[in-house]
Amino acid sequence: MEFVLVILRMYGIYWVWRVLYTQRPGAFGVSLDQMVTYGVMGMALEMFIWSRPQWYMANQIKSGAIDTDLMKPLDFHLYMLARSTGETLIGVGVLALPALLAAYLLLGVQYPPDAWTGLMFAVSLVLGFLLLFHLNFLLGSLAVVALDIRHISWAYFSLVRFLGGQIVPLWLFPTFLRVVADVLPFKGAYFIPISIYIGKLSGVAAFQALGFQTVWLVILVLLSRLLWGMAHRRLVVQGG
Amino acid sequence: MDGLGLYFRLIRVAIQARLQYRADFLAGIIGVIVMNTVTVSLISIMVSRFRHINGWTMWEMVFLYCLWLLGHSLYSFFFWHIRALEEYLVEGTFDQFLLRPASPFIMFLAREVQYIGIADLTFAALGLSLAYRNLDLQWTGVQWLFFGLAVIAGTLIETTLVLMIACISFWTGRSRRASQLLMRLNVMVQYYPIDIFGYTFRLIVTGLIPVAFMNYYPTLMLLGKLDPQSPWSWLGYMSPVVALILVILASGIWHLALRRYSSAGG
Repeated sequence: MEFVLVILRMYGIYWVWRVLYTQRPGAFGVSLDQMVTYGVMGMALEMFIWSRPQWYMANQIKSGAIDTDLMKPLDFHLYMLARSTGETLIGVGVLALPALLAAYLLLGVQYPPDAWTGLMFAVSLVLGFLLLFHLNFLLGSLAVVALDIRHISWAYFSLVRFLGGQIVPLWLFPTFLRVVADVLPFKGAYFIPISIYIGKLSGVAAFQALGFQTVWLVILVLLSRLLWGMAHRRLVVQGG
Repeated sequence: MDGLGLYFRLIRVAIQARLQYRADFLAGIIGVIVMNTVTVSLISIMVSRFRHINGWTMWEMVFLYCLWLLGHSLYSFFFWHIRALEEYLVEGTFDQFLLRPASPFIMFLAREVQYIGIADLTFAALGLSLAYRNLDLQWTGVQWLFFGLAVIAGTLIETTLVLMIACISFWTGRSRRASQLLMRLNVMVQYYPIDIFGYTFRLIVTGLIPVAFMNYYPTLMLLGKLDPQSPWSWLGYMSPVVALILVILASGIWHLALRRYSSAGG
């Protein structure tokens, strides 16, 4: 059933871009095929948002079961990372790849232009996953203070989708939004990997983009360690 | 009518229960407003950059979305928990509705309210009035009446579809996947005019799972986009009829399902 949902998403975005690009072929220096590929990839990478360490953390904190996690002789941050990586790999294997395969056959999605681009895309994708994981982890740490993060998450997910360029690529944004989205880490999750994939970002610009992702990743890792350390000290387990 | 009085009494209690949690209330409202703002911004950016999508301008798209949202807000305020029916069934808490000396349907419906609907309602009203001004609309009394009917029809269509799907769990114990599929179709219809999609898809959301009657068809009528040449233009007026048919269907299924019910214990 999940599979049908992903396919439906892809189908939707496919028609949207197809209609828009039939009206104005080649708009904004991108071809219809590139744009469709962008849209479909964005939907396939929905899994990135799915691996939600923050839900797990919030539930454990709410129920008090977090104490058993903390008793384990593991670093909690790495433990969460391992969990998310596992979830995401399964998501990619079971859902994203089959759905993409279907999209290649049915919707005319492109392969990356060459092997080098494919490699850059893979690196950027891993960085993107790590970026989003740490943003989620930070949100999860917030659960220590806020207890219920369900509603904050709604706003957060919308912002990730929007500023990350999952649905509408950043080059369509009006200038003031573009400026904001360009400095924030969210674009590393979707916009950068997918733009590399379709060949919109290449050469030096692609390397700069990878650098951007790396810098933000380092900042977020440090922030995560710091904040979780603080949260850990504040943590009050209710019952258990 | 006694039933209706009881329903509103219980709803008042549910609202009071909800208002105990002020911070949660505020966070919910802000969350929903951010979500809707993002949605409308995405649509606006996309459409304004290309001037229109298949003849739909930005404000027409805003109207389309907000008309959906208005119907949806009433649904989400009063009927959001219908989709949790499977939890009531699996955990056996459904029994308490059957034990009380009133209609189990009313007991179930009045069980909870979801105040998030208020944020949706506000946002939708604001979006619609902005669209109304920017599109230079001047509705007659009849059109206003139809608008009201369309909103109520939208609420009923969503509620009855969710209810019918939730009833599946009387037989299978679970219905979550099916209701996710419904949500997805619903989401595609709420953002985009269905005339950009392929024929099969349009057929499904018109005939099989008629979510397009929540906003697309009434919008055609209200914005004067009906094509008099088309043999299908009458669909623009059909939302209330579709809603009525669905209400009858859903009530049949609910009664059938209740007879099927055997408690999970608990």
